[in-house]
Amino acid sequence: MAPRTQRRSVALRTISTPLILAALLVAFALVAWASGSRPFNQTVIDIFLQVIFVVGLYVFVGNSGVISFGHIAFACLGGYVAAWTTIKPMMKGISMPGLPDWLMQLEIPFWAAALAGGAFAAFWALVFGAVLMRLSGIAASIATFAMLAMVNSIYSNWESVTAATSSVVGIPILRVLWPYLVAAILAVFAAWAYSISRHGLALRAARDEPTAAAASGIDIPRARLIAFVISGAIMGAGGALYAHSIGLVTPDTYYLGLTFTTLSMLVVGGMSSLSGAVLGVLILSSLIQALRWLEAGIDIGTTTFALPGGVQEIALGVVMIAILMFRPAGIMGNKELTWPTGRGNDKPGEPGETN
Amino acid sequence: MKRVIAVLAASTCLGSAAFGDDDRIVVGFATAETGFMQAYDKPAQDAAMIRIAEINEAGGLLGKQIEVVNADTKTDRAEGAKAGLSVIDAGADIVVVSCDYDFGAPAALTAESSGLISFFLCAESIKAGIQGVGPNSFSASVLAPVQGATMAQWAYEKKEARSFYRLLDTWTEYNKGICDGFDYMLPQLADATLVGEDTFLNEDASIAAQITRIKGLPEEPDAIMLCTMMPGAVSAIKQLRAAGINSMILNGSGVDGSYWLSAVPDLSNFYTPVQGSIYGDDPNAEVTAFNAKFKEATGGDPSTQYTYPGYVMIDVWAKAVERAGTTETAAVVAELEKMNAEPTLFGPRTFTSELHHQNQARYLIVETNAGKPGVVDEWTISAPIPVADLMK
Repeated sequence: MAPRTQRRSVALRTISTPLILAALLVAFALVAWASGSRPFNQTVIDIFLQVIFVVGLYVFVGNSGVISFGHIAFACLGGYVAAWTTIKPMMKGISMPGLPDWLMQLEIPFWAAALAGGAFAAFWALVFGAVLMRLSGIAASIATFAMLAMVNSIYSNWESVTAATSSVVGIPILRVLWPYLVAAILAVFAAWAYSISRHGLALRAARDEPTAAAASGIDIPRARLIAFVISGAIMGAGGALYAHSIGLVTPDTYYLGLTFTTLSMLVVGGMSSLSGAVLGVLILSSLIQALRWLEAGIDIGTTTFALPGGVQEIALGVVMIAILMFRPAGIMGNKELTWPTGRGNDKPGEPGETN
Repeated sequence: MKRVIAVLAASTCLGSAAFGDDDRIVVGFATAETGFMQAYDKPAQDAAMIRIAEINEAGGLLGKQIEVVNADTKTDRAEGAKAGLSVIDAGADIVVVSCDYDFGAPAALTAESSGLISFFLCAESIKAGIQGVGPNSFSASVLAPVQGATMAQWAYEKKEARSFYRLLDTWTEYNKGICDGFDYMLPQLADATLVGEDTFLNEDASIAAQITRIKGLPEEPDAIMLCTMMPGAVSAIKQLRAAGINSMILNGSGVDGSYWLSAVPDLSNFYTPVQGSIYGDDPNAEVTAFNAKFKEATGGDPSTQYTYPGYVMIDVWAKAVERAGTTETAAVVAELEKMNAEPTLFGPRTFTSELHHQNQARYLIVETNAGKPGVVDEWTISAPIPVADLMK
């Protein structure tokens, strides 16, 4: 493995990527804050949550090359942790009477719930991952999908603990932007730190050349498991914050819809690039928002121009196809955003290749 | 310079809207204009618009014309929260939210945290109100358990049904609510017995196993309480009848409408509680007049009774505003809570500080005979269902 000094220089050479991405997120936050519009503020909160989800997904999918359909299950685990730990005990008693007593009495702030959600999801990622990470390719993808379906069925039917398919309400709603911004930035930095760590390097080596990596002593299931647990933690924390953004959880919030939205954002952005993960969200979300404004109608002079309802979904699909036609590896491919320097060939997100 | 003025004008507009200008009365609809909930929200919203137009024609509310703002929830919970914020920022005094509790709750919670009244268009869960949103939230429809209780008591009293079979589709809260009401009523009916019960899932293609158990009973039950909803209801009903089970089938309001009857030709002995009749035979001529008005406004007859709660909603809210002399939330809520058997086009409505929903209501009973639905009776359960029983 790389000697210590060299690794530090990897960190220094690549730190510009998370810094630029964080600056982009801050810019979005400032625009929302300056606009003063509460619906727009909520939209940007949604964007930050999606950044967290897609970055969480990237930590595993991007580094391991294994597509996971199951990560939203971790968001579900985290979301319900938020419900279990932040709803007022009296309301919990009515909707979820089967909770153990200590949990019933617990009432913690949102950030602690996000941490707890992350930890709970990470624990289950460890349990599931210990089995699933031995699989590779399409078998692994299908197994992660099975995990999603499993978590969803349990949460949709465990009446006394998750209130089954009913909405669990009473989660304190958090409408300020800043906690979400901080969480999204933390997720970006966590993903960056992981991808330049020796474990991240090992996993990317295993992604590109599994045989050679294994021959060099990389324990592939273990390397994958580490990524799986970290990404599970990020998804769990994101799921908890998502619950705080709308004030309720249901199992189907965290199911196929969110799975495919986050996956397509990652694919469009560029699956093996952290910048791609963040940009995929920012670009697609901005596009969705612009189309929604057009659907709602904008006034040009005296006439109102409006697209027919439902065009947003169609246009989004067309744009995604177009992006993937011209850039099959996504908008960013496997490049990262960096400061323009003299060393044009530098690929900071792929330090394995620059070493 | 012109642009500066325009920007200034626009910002004052926004500013005043955000602070809920007292010169305007605004109804904000944070409902689904797209997605599957649209099928439920749109008719009720159209009915609400008819009532708003009537009030405006008659001189408005507190001397002001009611204005309307809309935001689409896209049948999505996260979008619902945004839609709620949109209409509140546009100056809404009341936030009207989706029919279903799960989909309406995010917008209703937004209204609640902004200190505004929220009204579910036609949610029938007790959670759509104080219990699941907060003290300023109401529902315009009637609780699902009232439907189950109404059918059980009516069948017992008027059809002399004594043996009941309970068949529950566990898909939604609404379905469970109907059966909860039935469970509450049945023990109160002397010598009525539950001869069996079973569950299925809305998406089940076949309920053959459940049917076998009904057929296995020593005697066909007098009535089957079928707690289900569309789309699975049609298949379940069809299978029951195809298996030669001719017991009367009691339902919730969710199966109202004639649009699906062609799928079960010559259906008979089939009973549904409705708040008003879409079949042109409502005992109240004004309902029929409303149907005509609805057809004029939208180009079609109401397709189910879930159109009507939208009208009731604006009706009771406007009355409360008129009595309070303001649109201020606390005053209007207080006036709404004073309503005791307040007459509306679709039966009396009562709100209390404990329950912002109907735990007793007059229902018309629609019988489908040889494939033709029509009103045959009306029934009000003898006593309101206690809130404690509703909270189970």
